[in-house]
Amino acid sequence: MSEGQKENRKHLDEMTVLLYIERQLDRARGLEVSAHTQECDACRTLLRALERESRLLTRAMLEEDEPLPSRLAQFQERARKSMQWIWGMVFGLAATGVYAFYTEYIELWQQQLEQAGFGGTNLLGLLIYQGTMWKGWQSMMTLLEVLAMVTLAGLGAMFFRRRIRRGSALALVFAGFCTVLAMPTGTSATEMRHEERLTIAKDEVIHSDLYAAGGRIRVEGTVEGDLVVAGGDIEISGHVLGDVLSTSGNLRVIGKVDGSVRSYAGNLLVKGTVGRNVMIAGGDVNIDRDAKIGGSLTSFAGHESIDGHVGRDILAMGGQVTITGDIQGSAKIRSGELIIDSTARIGGPIDFKSDNPPQVSPEAKLASPVHYEKLKHRDDYRTVHYYIWQVIWAAAYILFGLVLFALMPKFSEDAVKAAERYGAAAGLGVLVGFGVPIAACIACVTVVGLFVGLATLSLWYGALYYGAVIIGAVIGQWLMGRTSELWPLIGRMTVGLVILRLCTIIPHVGPWVKYGAAFWGIGAISLVVYRRLQPMIAPSMPATPYSPPMPPNTTVGGPLPA
Amino acid sequence: MNAPGIKEPTEAIARARAGDAEAWGQLYREHAPAIFRFCRRALPMREDAEDATMEIFMKLKDKLVQYDTTRSFSAWLYKVAANHCWDMLRRRKIRQDKETGDLENVPLEHPDPSQLDQLIEQRTSEEVRKALDKLGGRARMALVMRYYSDMSYDEIADALGVRRAFVGVVLLRARHELRQALEGNAALAAGGAS
Repeated sequence: MSEGQKENRKHLDEMTVLLYIERQLDRARGLEVSAHTQECDACRTLLRALERESRLLTRAMLEEDEPLPSRLAQFQERARKSMQWIWGMVFGLAATGVYAFYTEYIELWQQQLEQAGFGGTNLLGLLIYQGTMWKGWQSMMTLLEVLAMVTLAGLGAMFFRRRIRRGSALALVFAGFCTVLAMPTGTSATEMRHEERLTIAKDEVIHSDLYAAGGRIRVEGTVEGDLVVAGGDIEISGHVLGDVLSTSGNLRVIGKVDGSVRSYAGNLLVKGTVGRNVMIAGGDVNIDRDAKIGGSLTSFAGHESIDGHVGRDILAMGGQVTITGDIQGSAKIRSGELIIDSTARIGGPIDFKSDNPPQVSPEAKLASPVHYEKLKHRDDYRTVHYYIWQVIWAAAYILFGLVLFALMPKFSEDAVKAAERYGAAAGLGVLVGFGVPIAACIACVTVVGLFVGLATLSLWYGALYYGAVIIGAVIGQWLMGRTSELWPLIGRMTVGLVILRLCTIIPHVGPWVKYGAAFWGIGAISLVVYRRLQPMIAPSMPATPYSPPMPPNTTVGGPLPA
Repeated sequence: MNAPGIKEPTEAIARARAGDAEAWGQLYREHAPAIFRFCRRALPMREDAEDATMEIFMKLKDKLVQYDTTRSFSAWLYKVAANHCWDMLRRRKIRQDKETGDLENVPLEHPDPSQLDQLIEQRTSEEVRKALDKLGGRARMALVMRYYSDMSYDEIADALGVRRAFVGVVLLRARHELRQALEGNAALAAGGAS
């Protein structure tokens, strides 16, 4: 073998072969490589392998494995400009609606509550967040602030979506909310106890907040902070210097609570002293003759007996309310029956709404006669006010739908498709519609579950409205044809929602339509969520693989450059 | 260089440059799918690709006046797209591959040709796309620029900010990474099947 032949036998390196097939070698070197690969099997095999790799790469990249996403299909500058006024209009309408709602109802209600002795705080804080865990919020929250925050969160998510991951944006917003919720409130030391039979002994002093859970709980000692308690049977006979927040089967407050009592209980007995307000929801509520409530009493109960002393006003809703005690302020009562006994003393005006007139003893000491208003069970279709409100509600639904469709276009599109599987969506809707709130309420029995339960309930409540929006889109598609593009789908949703809202104002039938649509929609949403939670199966390749044309100038071997 | 099946839209470009919204829409409709696929291959997340496609076309509207009509529109479009995607990757600091200095020292290995041939023969396009997802930013960008949009070595060097002489090395290194990823996928699949 000559020297030249030996040299020829030295294998080419991969870089050289790659540059050769990419036509990046000069002519002389290219000819050398070409000649070498004619004679050397190993280098020819390498050349073929690299060529095949190039083809595989090109094919893999050019294959149209996924369609253009709908939001990109829509995206054109002209469309974007034309949408700006729609957004402006919708937000303007929503702002008007919120303002009207606030001035029409919230402000009046707030004033009434202030008159009823709940002054110094706000409505949302009063009703929900005034408990021990929400102190950080109570001075800052109003319903409008909540709406503003939710809107900002939504806009923030849309803004950040362009910069960070969609999931990350939502996580960021959610984490922000959680951080605010979890913010400590000054006296933040906390003691946690969980026992089946838990007793805080008489001489025991808890120098912080106490979170307690158990089947039978007795608080005979002193809690210097707040008491958050969940259990089957709870008795507070000691002294709580802060607030009490409880959820339980039975709750008896025999001792002293310097702050407020917020409770959800099957049976509630207040026999001791509560320095501030009492807000309770339960089956039977009994404010005993010995009870002293320094502030106001707000109750939602099946049967309620008020025999003790209430320093300020009462607001009571329930089946039957019996007053035999002393109420310093006014009374606003909406219940099936109201009995005011001869021993009762009420220092302020009494408003009573019911189907039945109140039974008032002539011996009762009342500052003014009971103002009785018989309940109206039908909407007043003859007033303009009613129709204005229907328009506001329809606008609110459309806004809600617009935001959700814009934030989650793919999910919404899938939910609309899922809603058209009528049987599955309706069946699942009934199951989830009834099952989730029951499960959430059960979860609320425990301290940890309380947060999960409340969060689930909030989600479920929101999903009811989202469900109606989805069904609006389905109705719109029935009328205007199917579409998979975002803005046409939003247009159909708008038309469908208007029709749906019109149907809901039909006497007798309306409520069925309303809840039927919400449950059907929630079923569709649940179907999509269920599908998304399933493990992904890799899509199979088509039977006849797509063979795209090679782009011009893609060189896979072939002749050398000229 | 054109996106597959697309003619040079000379007239539409001229009208779009004059501010004709309809012509702009036509350009978008014709090129958006190809650019989205380019971004989809170049960027790790689908949402990134969607955002990048929109941003590229927004950018394009301002840059259209700079376009030299004697050159290929698609090539220019891909160049803009490549620069945008590479900027995005750089901004997010997800370039995990080595810098230019290291590239000079990359060993020029001679793989076993028959083994390589076998590895390539057994792979599907789907597997290659999955393996691409595992590559570092530069390797991925280089392969996409070369084998999707058929950019020249000069254009790749310009977009990646490396010397032209190293483009081959970048591509070779990217192929090596891809093979490793493909082998990893195969090992995983075998593990999953057992």
